[in-house]
Amino acid sequence: MKSKKVMGLTIAAIMIASLAACGGSSDSGKGVEDSIDDDKIVINFFHRWPNDPKNSMFNELIEKYMDENPNVTIKMDCILNDQYKEKIRMVVSTDEVPDIFSSWSGTFAEEMIQSGNVAELNDMYESDTEWSSQISQASIDGFTFDDKIYGVPWSQDGKVFFYNKEIFEENALEIPTTWTEFIDVLDKLQDAGYETPVVEGLSDSWAILHYLGTMNQRMIDPDTLAEDYNADTGEFTDPGYVEVLEKWQQLTEYMGDVCSAIDHETARNTYFATGEAPIMYLQFAEIPLLEESLPDGFEYGFFNFPAFEEGKGDINALTGAPEGFMISNKTKYPEECQKFLKWLVSKQGGEALTTQCGDLSSVEGAVDETNGLPAQIEAMDIIKSASQLSPWLDNACDASVYTVYGQGAQAIATGDETPGNVMKQVQEAAASLH
Amino acid sequence: MNRKRNLQAFCFVIPAVLILGIFVYFPLVNNIIYSFQSFSLSSIIKEWVGLENYKALLSDKTIWICIKNNILYAIISIIIQVGFGLVLAAVLEDIAFRKFAPFLRSIYFIPTVISLTVICLLFEFVYNPQMGLLNSFLNAIGLDNLSQVWLGNKKTAMLSIIAVSQWQSIGYVTMLFIVAIQKIPKDLYEAAEVDGAGKIKRFFYITVPQVRQMFFVTMMLTVVGAFTVFNEPYILTGGGPGTATMVLSLYMYQTGFVKNNMGYASTIAMLIFVITAVLSSVQFLTYGTEKEER
Repeated sequence: MKSKKVMGLTIAAIMIASLAACGGSSDSGKGVEDSIDDDKIVINFFHRWPNDPKNSMFNELIEKYMDENPNVTIKMDCILNDQYKEKIRMVVSTDEVPDIFSSWSGTFAEEMIQSGNVAELNDMYESDTEWSSQISQASIDGFTFDDKIYGVPWSQDGKVFFYNKEIFEENALEIPTTWTEFIDVLDKLQDAGYETPVVEGLSDSWAILHYLGTMNQRMIDPDTLAEDYNADTGEFTDPGYVEVLEKWQQLTEYMGDVCSAIDHETARNTYFATGEAPIMYLQFAEIPLLEESLPDGFEYGFFNFPAFEEGKGDINALTGAPEGFMISNKTKYPEECQKFLKWLVSKQGGEALTTQCGDLSSVEGAVDETNGLPAQIEAMDIIKSASQLSPWLDNACDASVYTVYGQGAQAIATGDETPGNVMKQVQEAAASLH
Repeated sequence: MNRKRNLQAFCFVIPAVLILGIFVYFPLVNNIIYSFQSFSLSSIIKEWVGLENYKALLSDKTIWICIKNNILYAIISIIIQVGFGLVLAAVLEDIAFRKFAPFLRSIYFIPTVISLTVICLLFEFVYNPQMGLLNSFLNAIGLDNLSQVWLGNKKTAMLSIIAVSQWQSIGYVTMLFIVAIQKIPKDLYEAAEVDGAGKIKRFFYITVPQVRQMFFVTMMLTVVGAFTVFNEPYILTGGGPGTATMVLSLYMYQTGFVKNNMGYASTIAMLIFVITAVLSSVQFLTYGTEKEER
């Protein structure tokens, strides 16, 4: 009996000890950090690119920066897209907010700013015009709210139709500039034997939302659109929205049955890259991915989304958005953070981004004939010549609205819903936010 | 002495109670409170909205689609996993299969130990409309007209997803039944055989009543599993096309982490909790009375 008791007490003691040990270790960890703080500057840097090549690019750049600035330690942490969204949303309103973190533009940026923990950077731009003049203005706009700049754009992107030049030449097709011409091209391609003249992976709802964002922008009066995308005032009662979905329905008829079951990557790699589908709506950021799966001699060109004849939106706008970094206003070293970002978002950082990872840098002149692919240079020109960048639908409006929008449009493509019905659901979703 | 023993027993229980309390019951109570609030992950204040979320739940059409899909999931899982799993177990335990039984058991059990994510990605290839195994097979045997866009068609998407789960889980349920069947005293079968009962009769009059206990365990596993299923629809279709394959837990996840409406997501979580709690307690209660009768 006694030995049992001793056993029991020993086990209990071990348990308590182990619990205490757990608590203790984290404490001592903090202690070490604090002692570093005294003579070294530690910047926490949190981003969403844990995959290579971007992760190793950031590692290299940061190492280089730390070599140049031995008093600064940059602690990098990263997790992938959706998890990143969840985590940053959770920490942004707390004291745990990282000193520098990546953010999308548009509604996501707005949400970050609403936490009250994002630093306003107007001074940073104004005090160093030599640096800020190289940054693309359209990209800065994506982080500007009420004339206050809250971010430093890092990459930019745009979405256009990529087309197979060879097929277009064979069938003597012109690049369409209006919707009617576009449908005409699709008809001709179908007559020429292409079952899916335009392809998309409709199981990815973001891919659908990219279409709808552009189509709404082309169709609807910009003021109405801005009002509807605002969660507080959104109604979506303009008849144009139903027309857009009707046009979407018309377009999906050219995509074939298979599209509803495949994702965007499959559509790109097994339909567009093989020449089975001559047209696809792609992002510039996909150029390097596309290049990997293209056969030799495959030539592709770009054209912007055609204009709707009855549309009220700017036909020279380009759907696309910048991504960038924000600085927390809780950081102990605001100046060091700015200094690092200026160093990162510069010609050398931009060049690394474009040549190593294939993304288009927001730094003007970072990419030229010497270091970029011809397609990337053309893409940069298209972005530069666009009258404005209009955000992706899933960056422009509240998630409650775009989720319903995407699901509805998906159901339209499979023939299970009607445009009118879907718009009603979107209206309900928008109304529930007021 | 007795008091001391009690104290000692208490010491042993404390760690488990603490861990359970912190990681299970505290979040549960918290979730109940959250379900009356409106907030997002990044919002600082949680607004108290009373019964608003529950009212929204009642008028939400998607919830009904989810419940319908979950019920379909449960019914098919019971029929195939519990029903067919029992038959499979009985067949494997039959003398005629003695020789191959260990081999076949492993074959049936292997899917259970493969990660669900891997399985779902594999099935994406199986269901691929263009080069997928399933359509290629149908074409090869001349049933071209049966080939489908399995995951992209509202009518077949949900059933296709359910089929993946059945394929994966039947081995596990079968294994549980095999263990139960092995516990049945052999003399029962021998006596029945002497009395002239055939294999089918022996199955219904000896095997089925004798594995009753396991029957309840597997029923509970499959039904609760069917109401909490997430991975398969999340990976295979993401709830689409439209909301055709939306299930409760996926809808909860989307509401919370995509639409960023944590309050309403907590309300959906409460609904899932109530459904699974009611179903399990019904099963527990029926099982409990069963035991007393014996």
